[in-house]
Amino acid sequence: MSRRALRALLLLAGASVLLAVWAFPILWGLLTSLKTERDVLAYPPKLIFEPTLANYREVLFGSASILPNLWSSLVVTGITTILTMLLAVPAAYALARLDLPGKRSGGFYVLATQMLPPVGLIIPYFLVLQRVGWLDTYQGMIAIYLTFSLPFAIWLMVSYLEDVPREMEEAALLDRAGRIRTLLYVILPQVRGGIAVTTIFVFLNAWNEFLFAVVLGGNRVRTVNVAMFNFISVEQTLWARLAAAAMIAMAPVIILGLLAQRHIVKGLTVGAVKGGGRR
Amino acid sequence: MTRDFDDRATRCRAINRRQLLQHAAAFGAGALAAPAIVGNALAQQAGIGSYQQAKINWRQAAGEQITVAVIPASYFDNLISLAPDFEALTGVSVRFEKVPPGQIRQKAMLDLTSKTATYATHAADPMYYPLYVSNKWVEPLDRFVADTTLTDNAWFNYEDVLRAWRDANSVEGKLYGMPYDGEVTVQVYRKDVYDAKGLKPADTLDQFVENAKAVHDPNNRLWAVALRGFAGAGQNMYIYPSLFRSFGGNWFEGGKIRVNSAAAVSALDWYVDVQSRFAPAAVRNWNWPDIADAFSQGTLGVYIDAHSSAAVLNNPEKSKVIGKIGYARWPKGPNGKRVTSIWNWGFPINAALSDKAKRATWLFITWAASAETQARTSWRFAGPAKRSGVNRTSLWRSPDFVGLMRASGSNFVEAALESLEQDTDVDWRPRVPQWPAVGETMATAIQSALVGQKKSKDALDEAQTRIDQIMRG
Amino acid sequence: MARSSDRPTRERRERRFALVLFLPAFLVLAIGTTVPLFYLLWASLWRIDLSMPWLSGFAGLENYAKMAADPRFWNSLGLTVIYTGSTVVFQVVIGLGLALLVLRIPRGQAALRIAAIMPIVLAPVVVGMFWRTLVLPPDYGLLDLVTQALGLGSHNWLGDPQLALVSVITIHTWQWTPFSFLVILASLAALPPDVFEAARIDRANAWRRFIHITLPMIRPAIAIIVIMRMMVALSAFAAIFAATGGGPGTATEILNLYAYRTSFTDLNLGYGAALAVVLLAITLLVSFLMFRLRRAA
Repeated sequence: MSRRALRALLLLAGASVLLAVWAFPILWGLLTSLKTERDVLAYPPKLIFEPTLANYREVLFGSASILPNLWSSLVVTGITTILTMLLAVPAAYALARLDLPGKRSGGFYVLATQMLPPVGLIIPYFLVLQRVGWLDTYQGMIAIYLTFSLPFAIWLMVSYLEDVPREMEEAALLDRAGRIRTLLYVILPQVRGGIAVTTIFVFLNAWNEFLFAVVLGGNRVRTVNVAMFNFISVEQTLWARLAAAAMIAMAPVIILGLLAQRHIVKGLTVGAVKGGGRR
Repeated sequence: MTRDFDDRATRCRAINRRQLLQHAAAFGAGALAAPAIVGNALAQQAGIGSYQQAKINWRQAAGEQITVAVIPASYFDNLISLAPDFEALTGVSVRFEKVPPGQIRQKAMLDLTSKTATYATHAADPMYYPLYVSNKWVEPLDRFVADTTLTDNAWFNYEDVLRAWRDANSVEGKLYGMPYDGEVTVQVYRKDVYDAKGLKPADTLDQFVENAKAVHDPNNRLWAVALRGFAGAGQNMYIYPSLFRSFGGNWFEGGKIRVNSAAAVSALDWYVDVQSRFAPAAVRNWNWPDIADAFSQGTLGVYIDAHSSAAVLNNPEKSKVIGKIGYARWPKGPNGKRVTSIWNWGFPINAALSDKAKRATWLFITWAASAETQARTSWRFAGPAKRSGVNRTSLWRSPDFVGLMRASGSNFVEAALESLEQDTDVDWRPRVPQWPAVGETMATAIQSALVGQKKSKDALDEAQTRIDQIMRG
Repeated sequence: MARSSDRPTRERRERRFALVLFLPAFLVLAIGTTVPLFYLLWASLWRIDLSMPWLSGFAGLENYAKMAADPRFWNSLGLTVIYTGSTVVFQVVIGLGLALLVLRIPRGQAALRIAAIMPIVLAPVVVGMFWRTLVLPPDYGLLDLVTQALGLGSHNWLGDPQLALVSVITIHTWQWTPFSFLVILASLAALPPDVFEAARIDRANAWRRFIHITLPMIRPAIAIIVIMRMMVALSAFAAIFAATGGGPGTATEILNLYAYRTSFTDLNLGYGAALAVVLLAITLLVSFLMFRLRRAA
């Protein structure tokens, strides 16, 4: 009995370390964001201090507010997500269920486009957007974001659509419901969960993107990641404010992540077994 | 850095109140515009008044729209906050685009190569003019200075703009970018620590090492020295050129860039030695803000960097060393020279602009570089961040500026001004069109020596090979 | 089943319908990835150096020939191999270990899953910045706080060439191990319990049970993790960019970083494109091999 207790204790200890390793850097950031700059630079680092919300006030409403950047991120990410889903679901359905000519190579093609390293694509993207005057515009950024969101979304959706029992579809078709109506009213409700997971993943990927945003964006379209990165390269580094900005930028993805916790695990697994994701 | 953007009322009031004194001192009585009544309209007029003494037609390019790329820094923010006055004066509308320093060069260059003329002008790095000029991407400014319909030199006084910076922005004697704000590198030391040990700020690099030995006490969290260690053409390749030149290095030998000469190796050895013996280990990744942070926490004895970093050291929100700071010029190197940076942000004119847009841009440039705007963004600025990098000799010598700078610490103005007048060296860095690649190659090589990845000689030899390749094309 | 008379038309209609559904996405991908890819290949054959535009012109394979004699290229290639290999191995090994551990914890799995999701959903660039500014700086960072408390002293995690490489590998491993952990945990949980029961009756010891029963059953999941994580590691950019920028010196300059710096700092787009093509070739080769291996297994 005592051996078992010891084992349980060890397991628990192991699990706690694990928890700490993953959660602690983020909690440390939270602490830092509540410190004054002077406390941040104190040595040895202070664990007990008088918390302040001044950094958040400054980051949100001060002269270097990140609100416009949050807006940029939201617009780019939101529209990208919507367009991606509108294109990906029908394509995935065609790949998963219909007699699409050249289906295998089509599927492989989608998978292959996902492997292209972004660093390789950034040069052509830059030159083309520059030529058409789409640098630092929402349309330019969204167009580029579609290219990396789509393959991923299609593959994830294919894996969900393949799980829908064929009989349902056939029954609906025998009822002489048209293809489109079958898709809309029979198939899609079956994969509601999959659509939700895919939407979340597409949103996360787009929200977290950095390389394209930093090269193709600018003053008008500057996502929150880029704005934050700029925090460390200007005049002087304000650590506490950087931490506060990071906390704000992380908030949406963490909230989404927690809300969809179970689905994300499932999404990762489904994706892992059937296709893949590019992060 | 806290910035004061839109508190227009306060700003205008402050300007008005001070203007009486300022104008009397610097520009003669003619500029005296509105007296005590405070109101927006009048304040606006006051913002224009002194410029209208210039005998040019400020409105000749009215209706033009120009975009100006600057970096997000308080010295440009001050200018941006005055821009409505410029628009009222000229009828030209200005849009500012803030691009981080790490990207402004690339963004400007990509704009210039594509000839899309997105940026009428931008805050330009002096090292980039050779490249700009060899591609005819920017206009020579001498003809704008000489054109009396565009420049009333009795008012603008071009020769008053600091010579070192004009030289830095010139190629073959022609100016291509008008200096707006700049800096010199000086020694910044802990006067209290030095005084307690009976030390004087180093006059030579050898003394610098001696001082470091005396001050160094890492067990009590006082490291003697920190110099920029971070890689980058504007980071470690900002400190190294001064060492290189004062060790007697020449960037060119027989018309070719030479970076692995004996002097170059000794200079790098010195840099590596000082950093590894007397600096905190983290210095290898430090750029100047990190160094200033450390100094402001009282953990550094001395550093050599831009005089403008004094603002951080005197920020009461953070600093623990206010009142304990002293300044001195760069120490002399083995060849007896002190070499300071000639860094400045200048404004060129994009050659792809239409003629009228060029004129509008020039009007903006003269407005920004004029003594009046320079003063209004410095000691007459209402916000807390008053510029210390003004571009004119007369301003550096004006009692108001000196009074403002005094507060930064002992000997600040003297050290900075003497550096500016005596220690600048136009061949501080190799001025070639290929600078972007050359600068980065050097920066990478220097850092690999600083972190002990390679020996100085090997790092520089490798850089030489690469640079030969770059230059050969 | 449909009557034979209208089968051809029905089939045709279905095909047409399928095409209509698939084509929009296909066109976006073709224009958005394949055309740029050819552009990239083409650009890699040119000399496009924005700092020396007068030298621009067709260069054939010159950019590729130049790589052979470019020590920075070989350095970055070596680092790419080290970085990819070590991060993938660590992710799988640690993730597997943790999953086996956690599987035995009767309660609190949910909390662990939540903790595990945190790093995954964060932007790599934010993670890189986080580690650089909060975890790794000497004296002030979280890690130094721990090592100093343990009497291991202060280290310059990002300033020392070897430590910097270790640090960027650690950052990647920290962020993505939860991924493999979650996937392995899910596949372990899905295994039929009776297999274990049978083995337990056989008195097979824990290690042998693991080697002979558990591992073969989760091998497909591991294979997928390896493939996916390799692809991701090969295109890793933002975290290293934010944490070290490829430095100190070139100590963490993987091929991605080198291609980026060449293109956007040195503004040598032609050579940058050639470097990107090499990266692309490596990625395709690796994925081809991995898929072959997987099929063979």
